[in-house]
Amino acid sequence: MSQETPVAGGDRKGNAVLLRKGSAHKMALKEKIVQIYEAFFQGEDMSAGNANFWDELFLLKVNTLYIETECDKLTGDGLVQVKDNFNMMFERCVEVIKQDNSVRTVNAVHTLCALVRGIYRKSLKDNAFDAINLLIGFDNAESVFQSLVESFNRILSGDFPVALKQLLLKFMLVLVSVTENISQNTLLEYVLINSVYESLIAVLGSPVLRQALGVDAILLLTLLVQYRKHESANPYIVKLSILDDELALTGYAQVVSIALSDFNSDYKARGTEPQSGWFSTLANMVGNMFVGEEKEMAAVKANDSVLLALYEAIHLNRNFITALTHAHTPSIATTPPSSPATDIPPTGDSSGHSLDVQTSPEPDHLPTNLLVTFLEYTSIVIQDTKDETRYNNARLCLIIMTCIAEDQYANSMMHDINMNFRVPLHRLPMRHRKVKFEASPPSRPLACAVLDLMVEFIMSHLMKTMPVELYTRCLGICHRILCYQKKCRVRLQYPWKSLWTALINLLKFILSHENHLLKKSNVFHMCSKIVNIFNLFITYGDTFLPNPNSYDELYYEIIRMHQVFDNVYSM
Amino acid sequence: MAKNFKSEGDLVTKQPNSCLSKSVGIFSLSTGNMGKGRREEGSDLNGAYKGEEGHDGEGLVKLRASTLKTGSRVSFADCDNDGNMIKTCSELDLNIDPMFAHSALGRSLSYSAIERTDRQLEDPEVIFNRNMVFSHFHKSYDTYSLGSLDSRLSTSPIQEEVFESHEHRSNGPSEHDIDTCENPDDLDLSHDVNDTVDDNTVDCASQNSGHLKSRPPLSNGKSKHRPSSGKQTSWLLRLFESKMFDMSIAISYLFNSKEPGVQTYLANKMFSFMDSDVDFYLPQLLNMYIHMHDVAEAVHPYLVHRCRSSVEFSVKCVWLLSAFSASVLKPTWRTSQGLKLRNLILNEELSHSHKHQHQLQKHHPSVATAPGLVEPSCETTQSLGTMPQSLGTTLSPSSKKTHIRSRSDATGVFVKAISSQSNLTHHNYSCGDLASGRAFDSGCLCHKSTEAMKNDLTGKLVPCQCGSPRLSPQIEFVKAMMSIGSRLAQLPTKELRGSRLMAELAMLNLNLPARVWLPTVQFDHHVVRIPHTQSVVLNSKEKAPYLIYVEVLQCDNTLTSQVPNKILENTLRYTRSEEDLVTYYHHGNTSPRDFSVYGNLNDYDDADCWSQEDDDIIQIQMPTLRYKSSDQISIESSTSGDSKDPVYIAAGDIRRRLSENMSAPKGKFERDPEDPSAAAMKEPWEEKVRRIREASPYGHLPNWKLMSVIVKCGDDLRQELMVYQVLKQLQMFWNAEHVPLWIRPYNIVVTSNNSGMIEPVLNAVSLHQIKKHSKLTLLQYFEHEFGPQNSEEFLTAQKNFVQSCAGYCLVCYLMQVKDRHNGNILLDSEGHIIHIDFGFILSTSPGKNLGFENSAFKLTHEFAEVMGGEGSDMFEYFKILILQGLVASRKHMDKIIPLVEIMQTGSQLQCFSKGVSTIRALKDRFHLNLTEEQLQLLVDNLVESSLNSLTTKLYDGFQYFTNGIL
Repeated sequence: MSQETPVAGGDRKGNAVLLRKGSAHKMALKEKIVQIYEAFFQGEDMSAGNANFWDELFLLKVNTLYIETECDKLTGDGLVQVKDNFNMMFERCVEVIKQDNSVRTVNAVHTLCALVRGIYRKSLKDNAFDAINLLIGFDNAESVFQSLVESFNRILSGDFPVALKQLLLKFMLVLVSVTENISQNTLLEYVLINSVYESLIAVLGSPVLRQALGVDAILLLTLLVQYRKHESANPYIVKLSILDDELALTGYAQVVSIALSDFNSDYKARGTEPQSGWFSTLANMVGNMFVGEEKEMAAVKANDSVLLALYEAIHLNRNFITALTHAHTPSIATTPPSSPATDIPPTGDSSGHSLDVQTSPEPDHLPTNLLVTFLEYTSIVIQDTKDETRYNNARLCLIIMTCIAEDQYANSMMHDINMNFRVPLHRLPMRHRKVKFEASPPSRPLACAVLDLMVEFIMSHLMKTMPVELYTRCLGICHRILCYQKKCRVRLQYPWKSLWTALINLLKFILSHENHLLKKSNVFHMCSKIVNIFNLFITYGDTFLPNPNSYDELYYEIIRMHQVFDNVYSM
Repeated sequence: MAKNFKSEGDLVTKQPNSCLSKSVGIFSLSTGNMGKGRREEGSDLNGAYKGEEGHDGEGLVKLRASTLKTGSRVSFADCDNDGNMIKTCSELDLNIDPMFAHSALGRSLSYSAIERTDRQLEDPEVIFNRNMVFSHFHKSYDTYSLGSLDSRLSTSPIQEEVFESHEHRSNGPSEHDIDTCENPDDLDLSHDVNDTVDDNTVDCASQNSGHLKSRPPLSNGKSKHRPSSGKQTSWLLRLFESKMFDMSIAISYLFNSKEPGVQTYLANKMFSFMDSDVDFYLPQLLNMYIHMHDVAEAVHPYLVHRCRSSVEFSVKCVWLLSAFSASVLKPTWRTSQGLKLRNLILNEELSHSHKHQHQLQKHHPSVATAPGLVEPSCETTQSLGTMPQSLGTTLSPSSKKTHIRSRSDATGVFVKAISSQSNLTHHNYSCGDLASGRAFDSGCLCHKSTEAMKNDLTGKLVPCQCGSPRLSPQIEFVKAMMSIGSRLAQLPTKELRGSRLMAELAMLNLNLPARVWLPTVQFDHHVVRIPHTQSVVLNSKEKAPYLIYVEVLQCDNTLTSQVPNKILENTLRYTRSEEDLVTYYHHGNTSPRDFSVYGNLNDYDDADCWSQEDDDIIQIQMPTLRYKSSDQISIESSTSGDSKDPVYIAAGDIRRRLSENMSAPKGKFERDPEDPSAAAMKEPWEEKVRRIREASPYGHLPNWKLMSVIVKCGDDLRQELMVYQVLKQLQMFWNAEHVPLWIRPYNIVVTSNNSGMIEPVLNAVSLHQIKKHSKLTLLQYFEHEFGPQNSEEFLTAQKNFVQSCAGYCLVCYLMQVKDRHNGNILLDSEGHIIHIDFGFILSTSPGKNLGFENSAFKLTHEFAEVMGGEGSDMFEYFKILILQGLVASRKHMDKIIPLVEIMQTGSQLQCFSKGVSTIRALKDRFHLNLTEEQLQLLVDNLVESSLNSLTTKLYDGFQYFTNGIL
């Protein structure tokens, strides 16, 4: 996704130009490694005559920027000339990673990053040559990659420092994201043959690794899933869709949940900035004009990869729905693994149970689940859909919601009266209403929150540039939830009137802007969807309405607004 | 009867103090073979005795071999000096082949109690010379014998206290003055025996005397051969060998007898009782173990043996030991044995694998050659393991190596990856770490081997052989539940607690299924899932007890059966997403275009969302809800969309159906966020089981069962446990006497001195909840639930109410159960009343013993109203029932009192705050001295005063104002 990885960014300091003291010429000092690189880019074989050359080279600190800029400088012919050197370097790097010397491994990974980035950046500019051949060479690309992926798996699942694992993950991300269109990244063919899936899942399953590496792991997995997903049987898609390791799934959900809730709390923190006096308010307003939007944008953007990961998991894996509604607390109090039975304290521990009280939960940390976090996130994202990125974000959110609303298990969880959650939904301030963000919304089944969210969306996007597609999805979600309630005879205690009002308003709006909207999209489809929902209420109200009065109310609303329906009929 | 015996002279004599040095009386018995169902053809020769023959004086060596097959029969054989069998008798026709007896020795575990005679030390050699091997010579203690500890107990204060209590026990003036008696023990014994015989044998007195005369030759011979000095013992022995001797007598004699011989005999006798019989008295047994050193010494082998053979028993012991020794503040030499035993068990020193080394040493070839022999050989090792002193020494040097080899053998077996779950970290030991997903996994791989799977399919037992910790999964499981409780208690509101509980249980769920079980359940099973959304936090201010439902799969043996595989929650659409994909994946690469998990992204029409297939699956999932097939959404939305054939629906119809649906009588309370347990408890159990079964991924399995348990943390359940035992006994006696009193003892598991589990009473809600949610009086509620007063349902419910009320009134009176507010009284769906919460019994009552409730039991006018009012037939029946119950209980008082009395030993429990007088008062409440007419008057008085008691009303009022309990 993003080309800027910390690996490359972190080494910029190393490039600081050193000056010889008292030197009049101001000639820059050259690092030893840079000298080697120079020779390297001249096409010389540096290892000749020096048996320890490679061992020593990888003990030196890598200057990634130099490699990348040198690559840029090379012409097409020049690149081909140093091809052998590239290949040798790549091969050596992979070999070094195989050995267990962390310093060399780190340097080798950095070198690899630089090489890959440098060459691919070049190849993006003029597609005259093949990057793989330049980097590794066609002949041994397969074996080199096999060994690379093997070391990757070994390090990721073995007992190695977390930083090293993280570095390798970052390198894989670099590898995966070198091209603009992931499907054009032919390097990935090798990653498909030699799967990294198992070690990624192991990372997600381990509660310790998940904290440090979780985001990178799901990002990598999501990217790999994207590779030619419409064309071929991507093994990652298949494997992800049959994943049934509950721990890994829960880990996956937790990583996504943490990322989304970080966004939510960021948003909340911005919303509740201390405002003292009119001046600061004014300053804030002015400030927000320029900065606020951008900041929010950045926040949204930072999360869309996680959102995509969530979508892939929900869409592909049916078991993930379980993890989605799995309640988890932000601070799960885990008892430390106790050593084998022989270590159980034999001393007179009279109570017998050392109930760990030290892990006292904070009362304000309500147990939540991914769905709650996601709903809150959605309520923020759908507030504004003018920008294309945000529009896509909102669209993805609604698609995910559709997937959830389609799933029977998710529905049964959302309608379970024993499972009540407080879902904080954010609403945009509008001309006719003040911003009201309920700090502690009522504790209700999740389906209520979903319906609230849909009503809110319907009511807040009645504008000229109406996002018809989003509306269609929104109506689809409502329809699905109602269908579930009808089937399972769930009587949700929900103020249905708000939904009816919203739908009627939507109809009214479509009617009044018929001519304008008709040019752009198929409003008839949307109207029929709305009418369908009303039909569901009218014909099957007895199966899911909470009481007879609400049925009366339904008729009252329809008759009161009969004009609207008459007009739709004559549309 | 007793007099009769005494006059015969030769039966009852006092045993002088010196009997230990001279004597004789030899009782030996074997535990027989612990395995169930294994036929053993010979007898086990398990004890030997050599001594002077009292009457004949011919210096016969008596060798008495006895065999007990799972504790059912005893046979005897006498041997002469050369060890030849001279007489073989058995109650059942058992032919003892002397040769076989010799050869069979190695095969059984046996304990013998040999009184310490002068000659005894020589015995081993003598016996060895005869090439006979005996399992145990001196004492049957195991490696961890307590024998090294002093037995100075006779001077201990506890002992004196016990004497004191005995003094009080003897009703009326005792002829024997303890101070002047040389041997209080003996006096006590004889006295007790008289008492016991008096009480117990009234019914079968004639039978008994007939029995005496027509004794089988063996018994006759026995008593004849008994030396004069051991007559006391023989008298006792006859009781001990009589038919009516059961665990309750054994336990009271263990408690009362100060004689090591008797104690050892009783301890050995326990081997012959059914395990379940002994288990009932386990709290008493362990309390004695903790507080009475001599008893500890005697019963230690038994406990060790049981711990070896049963993990479940070990776990129970650990919990009870830690609970009852909690009050021992500073463990001294006298009181530390309880903790020692607990640590012994916890450290797995009594595990199978310790024995297993022997098995492997000796029987490995046979295992390898003939798999069918696995079982017998396993049992053989039990016997080998328990006699390390005799045989173990020869085996021990190389045993360590074998043990390790066996382990590597086991782990080396190919472990089949059951699913695609990551087994990468499988070998890490993560017991207790809930986040690991294997918190309750001992790391044992024995059951994962292909061989084990085959054995499991063919019905063979798969014992664990890898030496992984046996107890820790279960202990961790319970610990996890308790720590949830303690965390919940810190949360302020019920809502927070509720959602927190669900989150925590979901976490716990990740680690299931596992080889863990619910201790409150009687059958063998594995816990597979906790439907966390069904759990509720119960009403309590400071503590947070909670009720959970637990899905279990019944199995043959918790420890050897395969643990079921994990099935994920979301089983819907399994067929579509998973299986298809696997086949696609394997054959898939041929035509990449065919396979795409993704639909066409540009198409945002929902037409394909609800395919027919989905509907089918939903229909399968919800078979109980009746739909017409035309109800399916796809059809419905199309009909409403293009109205080719319009269906007219009358709005009135729909509204009518809706209101009918609303007004339909519901057997439920509405959900109340302040009292979530009310709705959960009110829902009929069968309905709940059906509902959960439908939602459960394991629900389709035939051995699926739903259990429920209340987890209490921060509450001492030891009193509850005692009351449970008393109630169980009372229920048994009433049944035996055909008194139709009804009580519902609910199982209690004490896991420490401040935590435990309770088996919930199903289909029952508290009177408080009834009043709060229905806003009716009790009688109105009965009418509402069961119909009009003259209907059959009502009358049945009324009868149930009266019988249960009588039962509990009696219980409340006898045990002085206090704190009887309506929150502690349940009413079940059949009209039975059930009292719960026995936190205040005997000498303790709420409010610092001020005596708020001074009535005998809680009987309000409301109760009387349900019975039909004072003076009605049912009310009279109620009083008769109490009387009958009291008479029946009085008959068996001596089996109830020890239960309580033993628990009083060394106890810090509130209910014994008044010390010995507590027991005396309890005894007094049985009114042994009253005639039946007097009893009737008493009952009438009790009922009258309770009904009109001011304090009952006051207490209810007090509870209403302070705790809002109606």
